[in-house]
Amino acid sequence: MKKVFAIVIGFTAIVSSVTAQDKFFTKTGKVSFYSRAPLENIEAHNRSMTCVLDSKSGNIQFSVLMKGFEFEKALMQRHFNENYLETTRYPKAEFKGQVLNNGEVNYTTEGTYKARVKGMLTIHGQTQEVETDGTLTVKNGKLMAESDFKVRLADYKIKNDKMNNISNTISVSVNCSLEPLNH
Amino acid sequence: MAMNRRVSIIVAVLLVAAAIAVYAWREFNRKNESLAGIKPAYEVDATFLISEFNANDTVADSKYLGQVVAVHGMVKQVEKDEEGNYTIVMGDTMDMSSVRCAMDSTQAGKASSLKRGENVKVKGSFTGFEKDDTGLLGSDVKLNRGVIVNADNR
Repeated sequence: MKKVFAIVIGFTAIVSSVTAQDKFFTKTGKVSFYSRAPLENIEAHNRSMTCVLDSKSGNIQFSVLMKGFEFEKALMQRHFNENYLETTRYPKAEFKGQVLNNGEVNYTTEGTYKARVKGMLTIHGQTQEVETDGTLTVKNGKLMAESDFKVRLADYKIKNDKMNNISNTISVSVNCSLEPLNH
Repeated sequence: MAMNRRVSIIVAVLLVAAAIAVYAWREFNRKNESLAGIKPAYEVDATFLISEFNANDTVADSKYLGQVVAVHGMVKQVEKDEEGNYTIVMGDTMDMSSVRCAMDSTQAGKASSLKRGENVKVKGSFTGFEKDDTGLLGSDVKLNRGVIVNADNR
């Protein structure tokens, strides 16, 4: 009886340690964007993005509150919130997708892995399918997820002004340091 | 005489134009000011704030979106990222839901000395509520550009 008990406990310990290692997350992920236009260059940063990655399935999710983007100039921030992204109406941007080559990423061995990611990106209430490249780096028990990609304003029904003061294509840079999710 | 009058009108117009240009230029370049000197629109307890969002996030969103809010409560965690930015996590330690305030870079010194379990009051700009769909992470009320108003023993 004692033996059975010990086996059950041992098995439970193994299973729970495996599931705890499955998922990685952060709530302090960084996302920045850059617009290059003749009048001025604009950049904004948000360092409170949530990201969850399931290493088993390769499912990956990002979610960010649009009002959390910080600009150098107050007026730019106001225009971003009120005129371009209408952040009171559309407070959140989201990505839900998959690491297509998840089998090639060894989450338990330190190293940098190329990741091909595909999924649905929602900005300004508009959802588009996107596919992009990024890297996953396993180091010191953490997982760094990085990617740079471009977003066309027109794809998400974001109106540029008549003077084209912002670029029609915005560069987005994502940089997250994820930790194993422990219960 | 008519000549003098014309000159003074031109000078006046130029002065007004210059004043407008200076105002527009300064407004265009105005930096985001620190929240330290700004009076909060609301002052609220962290756990109460979370309960407002759990009860009805649409109503709570419309109340707080874009507002400067002072929140007091217990420190659950002080997080520091690779670049030295701090986030103060507040609320009930038994509950997965929290108030998360990303701190202004000027607050690093004060934020680093905060301890878990300590009471703190921070002021921040409300950016939204993130409902947890996974059941793993807890829901969060989020603020940014945070400044510490006061803390225990200080």
